[in-house]
Amino acid sequence: MNNRLGQKIEPYVWLLPSLILMAIFVVFPICIVFRIAFSEVSKSGLVGGFVGFKNFADAISLPAFKTVMLNTLYWVVSVVVLSTVIGFIVAMVLNQDFKGRKIARAIVVFPWATSLVIQASVWNYIIKYEYGNLNNILLNLGIIKEAINWRSSYQIEFIWECGVGIFVTIPFVTFCVLSGLQSIDKSLYEAAEIDGASFWDRLFNITIPLVKPSLTVATVLNIIYVFNSFPIIYTMTKGAPANKTDTLVTFLYMLNFYDRKKGPATALSVIGFLVLCLCSGIYMLGVMRKEED
Amino acid sequence: MNRTSAAKQNKVALALLLLVVIMAGILLSVPAYRFTSTVYSQKSPNTFVGDEKYLAVKAEVETLADEYRTQGMEVTVDESVTERTNSKGEKTSLVAFTISEKFTKNGWSFLTAGINSSCALAAILICLLGALACAALGCRGSLDTTYKFLDSGSARLRNASCWLLLIAILLVPVFFMMSTYTLSRRVGLYTAGIVTEGKEALFQTLDKFLFAGMAGENVDVALKNLKFSNTGVLWALLPVAFVGLVAAIQLRFGTVKHTLLRGLLYAFVIGMCLFILYPYYVMLITAFRTNAETNDMYFQHLFPTEWKWENLSHIVSRGVPRYLLNSAMIAGGATLIALICGIPAAYAMSRMKFKGKKIFLGFVIMSQMFSPVVLLIGISQLMSTLHLNDNILGLMLINAAFNQAFAIWLLRGTFVAISPEMEQAARIDGCSVLGSLWHVLLPMAAPGIVTTLIFVFINAWNEYTISTVLISTASNRPITVGITQFSSFNMIEWQYLFAASLLATIPVVIMFMFIEKHLTSGLTAGGVKG
Amino acid sequence: MKKILALLLALTMVFALCACGGSSAPTAEAPATEAPAAEAPAAEAPAAEAPAGDEIVLDVIICQYGPNTNEWFLGSGMNGTNFVDKFEAENPGVKLNLEVVSWNDVYTVVDTRIASGNAPDILNIDVFANYANEGLLMPVSEYCPDELFNDFFPSFIDQSVIDGVCWAVPDLASARALFYNVDMFEEVGVEVPTTWAELEDVSQAILDYYDGEVYPWGIDMTTDEGQAAFAYYTWGNGGGFVDADGNWALNSAENVEAIEYAVSLVKNGYTNPNPETQTRYDLQDMFAAGKMAMVIAPNSLPTYVSDKGGTINMATAGIPANEGKTGSSVGVMDRVMAFKDDAAPDQAARNEAIGKFLTFFYNPENYVGWVSMEGFLPAVNSAVEALVASDPSFAGWLDVLGSCQFYPTSMAEWDAVKQGVIAAEQNALTGADVQAELDALQTQIAG
Repeated sequence: MNNRLGQKIEPYVWLLPSLILMAIFVVFPICIVFRIAFSEVSKSGLVGGFVGFKNFADAISLPAFKTVMLNTLYWVVSVVVLSTVIGFIVAMVLNQDFKGRKIARAIVVFPWATSLVIQASVWNYIIKYEYGNLNNILLNLGIIKEAINWRSSYQIEFIWECGVGIFVTIPFVTFCVLSGLQSIDKSLYEAAEIDGASFWDRLFNITIPLVKPSLTVATVLNIIYVFNSFPIIYTMTKGAPANKTDTLVTFLYMLNFYDRKKGPATALSVIGFLVLCLCSGIYMLGVMRKEED
Repeated sequence: MNRTSAAKQNKVALALLLLVVIMAGILLSVPAYRFTSTVYSQKSPNTFVGDEKYLAVKAEVETLADEYRTQGMEVTVDESVTERTNSKGEKTSLVAFTISEKFTKNGWSFLTAGINSSCALAAILICLLGALACAALGCRGSLDTTYKFLDSGSARLRNASCWLLLIAILLVPVFFMMSTYTLSRRVGLYTAGIVTEGKEALFQTLDKFLFAGMAGENVDVALKNLKFSNTGVLWALLPVAFVGLVAAIQLRFGTVKHTLLRGLLYAFVIGMCLFILYPYYVMLITAFRTNAETNDMYFQHLFPTEWKWENLSHIVSRGVPRYLLNSAMIAGGATLIALICGIPAAYAMSRMKFKGKKIFLGFVIMSQMFSPVVLLIGISQLMSTLHLNDNILGLMLINAAFNQAFAIWLLRGTFVAISPEMEQAARIDGCSVLGSLWHVLLPMAAPGIVTTLIFVFINAWNEYTISTVLISTASNRPITVGITQFSSFNMIEWQYLFAASLLATIPVVIMFMFIEKHLTSGLTAGGVKG
Repeated sequence: MKKILALLLALTMVFALCACGGSSAPTAEAPATEAPAAEAPAAEAPAAEAPAGDEIVLDVIICQYGPNTNEWFLGSGMNGTNFVDKFEAENPGVKLNLEVVSWNDVYTVVDTRIASGNAPDILNIDVFANYANEGLLMPVSEYCPDELFNDFFPSFIDQSVIDGVCWAVPDLASARALFYNVDMFEEVGVEVPTTWAELEDVSQAILDYYDGEVYPWGIDMTTDEGQAAFAYYTWGNGGGFVDADGNWALNSAENVEAIEYAVSLVKNGYTNPNPETQTRYDLQDMFAAGKMAMVIAPNSLPTYVSDKGGTINMATAGIPANEGKTGSSVGVMDRVMAFKDDAAPDQAARNEAIGKFLTFFYNPENYVGWVSMEGFLPAVNSAVEALVASDPSFAGWLDVLGSCQFYPTSMAEWDAVKQGVIAAEQNALTGADVQAELDALQTQIAG
C-alpha cells in the first residue's frame, strides 16, 4: 500500500525542484502581469483597482496596433523560417568531415556568444551611411564607386533588422540540428548508399525524419524567443518612424516606459502571450500526437 | 581505363587549356573600360538660355571643341542649365558647358598602365600561361598513363596547374576591384584634397595611361571629372578560366565532380566564416582606435592608423574585469541550478508514466511565453520580498528559472533517445535509482547535458534587461549592464564599448571550444543511438 | 566521459560558490561602494564613529551624462577620489547607495522600482510631473535648506512648480543654438541665415557648391530626441507646445506650417538623409568632420568636436525663425527630486540627510567641477563666478540661457505629448498629412 503510494508520488518528487523554481520566479511575475492587465495603472506604475477589459480595449484601439501586429508576424515568420533553413544547411555542412571543422564550429558560435544589444549596435555601426564600415570596406576594396545609403527607407531598415535577427538565431538552430545529426547512426547512410539512394533521398528519408524531434523543440522555443526578442529593434531603430518598424515587444516597451501608458502596454503583453499560446499550442499538439504514433 | 582513351582524354584537356590561353588573349584585345573625361568646363552664372551672354559663351565653347577635334580627339559638347527662384522671388540661372572626350581602353593597355590592377591582370595571364606549361610538362612522358598511375613529378605538375587556374579565377574580381579602387577611390580622395601622399606619382601614371601624357598640369581637373564604366568583357575571363580549371582537374584526377564539390564545400565554409567574423573584425578594429577615428567620415582607414592598446587598460580601470567576473558567476550559477532542477524533471518525464505529464510539458513551454521585459515589475517585487534585490544570487535563480524550459525539453529528448536497459541492468546489479542515474544515464547523456549547459550559460551570460533593474550597486553588475557606461547622453565611446564587448565574447567562445571537444568525442565513444 | 561531466559540474559549482561569496559580501557589509584601497580608511573612519543604528542610507539614482559621470561619482574622477567617498567622509551617519544609470534604461529602472515599492530616495532625471501628481515626491521645501534654495536661478525653479509647490530642483541645464562652419560659409560666400527663406537659399547654395558632398543642415527627428526638433521649428514660427494660456495647442496653424517646413527641408535634400534614425551624435559627428554645414546643438558642442579630433572653425548664431517671427533659444534642464518614504523611521533625519546631499552636491567646490566636466550650464548663482573664471565662453551662454524657452515638463501629459510629436514628425517624414497628424494628437491629449 505504502509502496504504491510512493510509486505514485515519485514522479512528482522528481519534478519538484523544477516546479518550485518556475513557480516562484516565473509564474509569480506572470500573475502580477495578469493582475496589472486588469487593473488601473498610474503613469509611474502604481497599480490601482480592477477595471475589467478597459486596458485591452485601449490597447486594441491604439492607431499603431495593426501595423505592429503585422510587423510582428513578418518578423517572426521571416526570422524563424530563414534561420531554420539556413541553420539546417550550416549544420549539414558542419557535419561533414573537412579540415578546420573544429574552428568552423567555434566560429559559428560567435554571433550567439555576444549579447543582442552589442550585435545590434555593431550592425547599426556597420551600416551607417556616413561612416559605416560596410561602405568603408566596399569602397576600399573597389567593389562600389560611391558610398551607399544602406537604410534609405524604413522598409529596408526593417529588412536589416530581420537580417540581424536571422544572423543571431542561426547558431541556436545549427547546434540543435547538429546534436540531432551527430546521434544518427552512420551505418544508416552506408546502407542507403549501397541501395543507391541519391543525396535527396537520404536527406528526406533519413536525415530529416531523425533530426525532426530536436528540430521541433528548437522551433517552438525559437518562435517564442524571436517573438519576445527586443534588443535588436530597440537598438537599431526604436521603432522609428512612428512604430513602423516596431514589433509587439518593442512597441509595448516604448508604450510602457516612454508613453507611460502602462495599462494598455501590459494588456498588449497578455495579448501577445495568448497569441503565442495559441500558435505553439496548435503546433505542439500536432507534433506530440505524431510522436506518440 | 585503357591507355588510348587516357591519352585521348589528356589530349582534349591540354587542347582546352591552350584554347583558354588563346581566348584570354582575344578578350584582352577587346575594349574593357569606357572613359568620359571632361577636358574643358565653364560655368556661366546669371545666364539665361538664348540671351546674348549665352550665345557668346556657346560660340566660344564650340570653337574650342573644333580645335580639339582637329587634334584628333573625339569630343562632345554638353550644356546643363540650373534655374532657381530664390527667396526674394528673383530668378537665377546658371549655365554650364562641358567639353568631354570619350575613349576606351582594352586589357593590353591596362597591362602596360603601371597601376595596381596591371599587376593583377599580369598575374592572371602568368597563371594561365603557367597552368598550360605545367599541364604540358606534367603530360610529358605520361600522356598515355591514367591519373591513378602517375609518377610523383607529373602529379605535382598537374596539381600546380590546378592551383594556378584557381588563383587566376580568384584574381579576376581582384583586378576589377583594384581598377575601381584606383580610378574612383584613390583619385577621389586626391582630388578632394583629403589625402595628398603619393598623389603626384599616381597622377603621372594615370596621365600617361589615359591621356597619353597630354593632360600635363590639367591632370587634376581631368581626373576629377573622369567617368568610367566597365564593358564587362573581362568578366568573361572568369568562365574561361573555369573551363581551364575543369580541364586541369580532369587531367589530374580523371573525374571532376568530387573535387568541385569539395571545393564548393570549402568555399561555403570559408565564406560563411568570413561573414560571421565580419562584425567581430569591425569590433576589433574599432576597439583599438582613438575616439576621433571611430567616425571615419571619409572612409580612409580600414585599420586603425595607430593601434591604441591602452584602450584595453582603460576599460580595465573602468571596472570591466569585475563585471566579467560577475557575469561568469551569474551564468555559472544559473547553469548549475538549471541543471540540478532540470535533470530530475527530465528524468521523470522520460522514464516514468504519470498523470499530468503533458500538462507539465505545456506548462514549461508556457512559462517562456512572456518576454522578461514584461515581467520586470513582478520580478522586482518578488526580489524585494525575498531580499534578493541587488544580489547576484537572485539573478542566478531568475536566469535558471527562465532557462528551465529549454533544459527540460532538451534533456528529456536526450534521455528518451537512450535505451533504459542499461539502467535496468545496473539496478539489478544493486545500484540505487540515483546511482544508476549518476553512473549510467548521465555519462551516456553527456552530449545532451553539454548542449544544455552551453545554451543556458550563453543565455544567462547575455541577459540584460532584468539585471539593469535588479542590480543597483556598480560592483554587482554583469558585463551587459556594465558596458552601458560607455554610451552616455553626451557621447558614445564606441572604442571602449566594442573592446569590452569583445572581451565579453572571448570567454564564451573559449568555453565552447573546450566543451565542444568533449561533445564530439563523447558522441563517438559512448554508444548513443538514435 | 564521467570524469568530464564531474569536472564540468565542479566548475559550475565553483562559479556558484564564488558567486554566493561575492554576492553576500556587499549586502552584509551594507551598501559600501567599492572604494579604491587608498581611500578606504577615510571612508570607514566616520562610519565607525557613528553608531550603526542611526545610519541613514540614501538610494540615489544619477543619469549617465557623459563618459566621466560614472568615474566622478563612483570611480576616481574627482581629483583622485569620488563623490560618494568624499560625501560620506564629510557627512558621517549618511551613506549613499548611489547608482549611475544610462539614459536608455533610466525610465525602465525608475518606473519598475517605483511599481515594486523600491523608489529611490533621490532621483536625477528630466521629468517630474507624474511623480509629483501621484504623490510620490516630497515638496522641495521639506528638505532643501533655504540658503541653497535661494541660490537657484528663479526662472529654473519656476519650471518645477505645480500649483505653487516646487517639487524638484534643477541640477544642470544646457542651451541649444545654431552652430555653423565658418570656413565653409566663407568659401561658398553666404551669410548666416536668420529666416527660414534664407536658410533654404543658403542650403541650396551649399548643396550646389559642394555637389551634394556636404549636408547643409542637420535634423534629428529620432525617437530619442525628436521633441527638440518640434521645439526648434514651432517656436521659430510663433507656435509651440502650449498657447498663451498654458493649454496644449499642438495643432495650431503655426505648428503645422513649421513641421511642414521642417519636412520640406528633408525632402529637398538639404539635410542628413535619415533624420528618423540619425541621432544628435550622428549630426555632431558629421559637423565635426566637416560633412555638415549647420547644426542645432547644445553649448557643449565645441568640447565634443575637439574630443572627436575635429579642427573645424565654428561659430554660433540664433536659431533661424520664420519671416516676421522671433526665434527663441531652446533650453533643456534636468532635475533632482526626492521621493517620499513612509517607512523611514525618522523622517526629519532623512530630510536632513537629503538636504546634506543637496548642499554637498551644489557646493561650488564640487558642483563647478561636475558642470564643467561635461560642458553643461549651472543652475545655481554661486557657481557662475567660478565657471566664468575658468572659461569665459560660459558668460555668453548664461545670457542665452536667460532667454531660453523650456519644454512644458511640468504638465502631466508631457510624456504622451513628447512621444506624440515625435510620432507625428516621423509620420510626416513618410508622407503623412501634418495637419491630420497634429489634429489627432491634439484630440488625444486635450480631448
